[in-house]
Amino acid sequence: MSAREDILAAVRGALGRLSVDADQVKEEADRLLDDLPAARPALDGMVPIDIFAARVSSPKVAASLDRIGDLAELPTAVERYLQSKGLPRNVALQPAAELQALDWHGIALHDAPEVDECVGVGIARAGIAETGSLVFESGPETPVLAHFLPLHHIVLVRAHSIVMYLDDYAAAALNPESPPHRNVNLITGASGTTDIEGSLVLGAHGPCHLHVVILFDGKRSVTPQAWL
Amino acid sequence: MNTSPSAVRVGFFATCLVNAMRPNVGFASLKLLEEAGCIVEVPMQQTCCGQPAFNGGDTRDAAVLARQFIEAFEPFDHVVIPSGSCAGMVKAHYEEALADDPAWAERARRLAARTHEIMSFLVDVMGYAPQGRSLVASATYHDSCSGLRELGVHAQPRAMLGKIQGLELRPLEGHDVCCGFGGTFCVKYAPISNAIVEEKAAAVERTGAQLLLGGDLGCLMNIAGKLSRRKSDVRVLHTVEVLAGMADAPAIAESR
Amino acid sequence: MSSTSATTTDARPAHEEGHGHADRNARVHPLRFLARAEAALADPVLQIAIERTTGTAERKRADAVEGFPQFDKARVLGKRIKDHVIANLDHYLLAFERNAIASGAKVHWASTAGEASRIVIGLCRDAGAKRVTRSKSMLGEEIGLPHALDEAGIDRVETDLAEHIVQLGGDTPSHIIWPSMHRTREQVSAMFHASHRVPHGEETIEAMVDSARRELRDKFFSSDVAISGANFLIADTGSTCTVTNEGNAELTTSPPRVHIVTAGIEKLVPSASHAMAMLRLLVRSATGGDITQYTTLHRGPRQPGDRDGPEEFHIVLVDNGRTRMLKEGLKEMLRCIRCGACMNHCVVFRQIGGHAYGGVYPGPMGAVLTPVFDGLGAARDLPHACTLNGRCREVCPVDIPLPTLMRGWRDRSWREGLEPPAARIGIGLFAFAASRPRIFHLGTALALRVMRLFRKNGLIQRMPLLGAWTRHRDFPAPAERSFLAMYRDAQSGKTTPGSSR
Repeated sequence: MSAREDILAAVRGALGRLSVDADQVKEEADRLLDDLPAARPALDGMVPIDIFAARVSSPKVAASLDRIGDLAELPTAVERYLQSKGLPRNVALQPAAELQALDWHGIALHDAPEVDECVGVGIARAGIAETGSLVFESGPETPVLAHFLPLHHIVLVRAHSIVMYLDDYAAAALNPESPPHRNVNLITGASGTTDIEGSLVLGAHGPCHLHVVILFDGKRSVTPQAWL
Repeated sequence: MNTSPSAVRVGFFATCLVNAMRPNVGFASLKLLEEAGCIVEVPMQQTCCGQPAFNGGDTRDAAVLARQFIEAFEPFDHVVIPSGSCAGMVKAHYEEALADDPAWAERARRLAARTHEIMSFLVDVMGYAPQGRSLVASATYHDSCSGLRELGVHAQPRAMLGKIQGLELRPLEGHDVCCGFGGTFCVKYAPISNAIVEEKAAAVERTGAQLLLGGDLGCLMNIAGKLSRRKSDVRVLHTVEVLAGMADAPAIAESR
Repeated sequence: MSSTSATTTDARPAHEEGHGHADRNARVHPLRFLARAEAALADPVLQIAIERTTGTAERKRADAVEGFPQFDKARVLGKRIKDHVIANLDHYLLAFERNAIASGAKVHWASTAGEASRIVIGLCRDAGAKRVTRSKSMLGEEIGLPHALDEAGIDRVETDLAEHIVQLGGDTPSHIIWPSMHRTREQVSAMFHASHRVPHGEETIEAMVDSARRELRDKFFSSDVAISGANFLIADTGSTCTVTNEGNAELTTSPPRVHIVTAGIEKLVPSASHAMAMLRLLVRSATGGDITQYTTLHRGPRQPGDRDGPEEFHIVLVDNGRTRMLKEGLKEMLRCIRCGACMNHCVVFRQIGGHAYGGVYPGPMGAVLTPVFDGLGAARDLPHACTLNGRCREVCPVDIPLPTLMRGWRDRSWREGLEPPAARIGIGLFAFAASRPRIFHLGTALALRVMRLFRKNGLIQRMPLLGAWTRHRDFPAPAERSFLAMYRDAQSGKTTPGSSR
């Protein structure tokens, strides 16, 4: 018997039955989720973007925040950030077509981030208000390393793509019918560690600074179901 | 003495530690129970609740002692015990110790429902509060783990102590942190137990209180023994001794 | 079928107790538990380190729980989710395997620690790996992976800062969330100066973290195989979910051509939504945050058009005693989500730290798990060195009845005759007397007489049989007569009740 057979046999022997009704199991699993709303922070009825913005700038996430009303304003917002930190006008741009199409007036762009990249600019697929997280789904326009190599990570997120709860995003985009991605990253703040004497240091291996630019482009907030 | 038919008949279990080491706790308990309007009996065939055997892994002997206890105390309306850990043994663990025998397990379950740690019994069941007692002193309180976590004993002793005139209660830092007694743990793993009780004793001393009170003699002997070794002035008493106005007895591990 | 598994010739004999975290005796510690504990108690640096780590963790968890009024409901839900998975573990294993394979991953099964590490080494060899980068995984420790990689002559790079420190120090993790808790900044500084190519200039923690960042940066990109763990295995998509803070896990698992995940079979959850429910408990209980900086899900290898990601994605499902736990009354332990709250609140752990436990996992969870891995004979002390105070259970986010499970080991130790003679005789005699009231009362009266011989000024400071107590504490001198004796006399009118003399 292979380890696979051994393990399955041991499990079944211990549980005292050979098989289960898959539909029944699924039903039970689904019913457990009925209790999820009572078991998560009470944010119902609040506006996701408000909660998200408050969270992102709170000490719990400690990212910096900016807002624009039009995608075309992104380069200016990036410029603002670079100036405020005294950084060179040279960024690694996530290879997303809508970012590449913008007028970057004078900011030098390159595609793949260096190992010691200074600034990366990207666009998040979604935001999660409950935790102040940004969501990235890997794909041709979204390399994973773009979010981890730069020291400063500037991320655009559309206000209407911000959902309230972690499980809203999970139900909408991480279910069996969702388009699969090799990597999904929920990023909440800059990287850090408390491994040496419990002292918090930001900027471990990932970015040291996270700067979130929220795009309020007037589009209505998308309900989680509309993700499908 | 109240002999009306509706009077509560209580079987009092002293616990082997109170019985051997500090009878004053037993007599203080009887006094309080009578003041609360109970008719109290002390079955003489009582010995030990079986916890040392149970916690030592000797479930079979624990079951023997559990059955003995159940038989002795079943006749009463309520069973009252001046110890959170012994009351916890009966209420939370007898059914487990007798799991192999469904009939006895059922008897254990039913007795458990009528078994109480004394302070929770006085307040929650009898609605008792001490009247006209005073003790001018400062005190701090240690919550024994079993009483606190298995039986929810926390507010009741404080509520009753609050009725003692002149008694100032000061909070103990880490009042809900284990004192390191743990039954045979304190002798089997003595150095670890010692380190734990050193911290507890230091916390007690830091309150500046004159008295340390609590509900479990094992914990109190452990902490008092350490305070005494540290030459501390703190007097350690079981809560019922203060409530019954019997706190003038020599304290636990008090040198004379 | 792309799923492979080790053959029976690799399986340990069924009668052999303990599944071990490797087929070697390197873990059998020369000193016994109490000696290790005493050494830890006498180490002032360790004492400070433990207090700092656990004290902070305790405060942060308390704040997080206070700030999440729904925590109790979340805890009930988490427990029910885990119990549901455990009750249907075979179903979820198969669902996970099916969906993982459909996503392009390869799934391997391992019954024992040895099998698991052999599978991983085999995959590394197949990949021609010279260098492997690892992100933190306690399961990896369990199966002896660091040692196996070293023995196989593969350059092992630990990328988690604490594991990097552990690797430099040549020891083992002492806490499941802060593996290098036992190291001071001075010790870390010295290690970095000795090993890093461009060590820190200033003696600050920031500079040291920077030094580690520099040291490890290019290693991410020169690695052939990445090995990581998983906090959750998501059955309905065959995905893995990992929570981290440093960014090293993502830098580890994206560049190499091959990515291997090792995970215990109990990590399964039905769906990502269920994982999120567990996540709300995990981070608050472990570090007091609401979420970690990085929550990463992996599903299959890189996809056509992806700019980065591995070409091969392997998942090794590891039993290593978990089915045994399921069968032998320890199934609640399979709820464990490895948050570390139990040890942060344990009065014993907070005195002796992690290494004294002598196993992969310390603290209350370690006291329950180590006998499974190392055998009860070797690990007997751990479930006994506990006051059964119950704080661990109180803070466990999935309500594992840890004290009950520890007592269960004590019961088993007694039945298997592993208890030392002194304990058997002591408890046996006590129980014998206690079940015979007359003998008990006589014995009590005798003991009181004997004890009073040793009293001085109302105390007993030294007495045979009480040595372990009186070494550290005074023992109160008992009254002349027992409560029952006095009560009986009072009832028959001889003396007034309530007298304490």
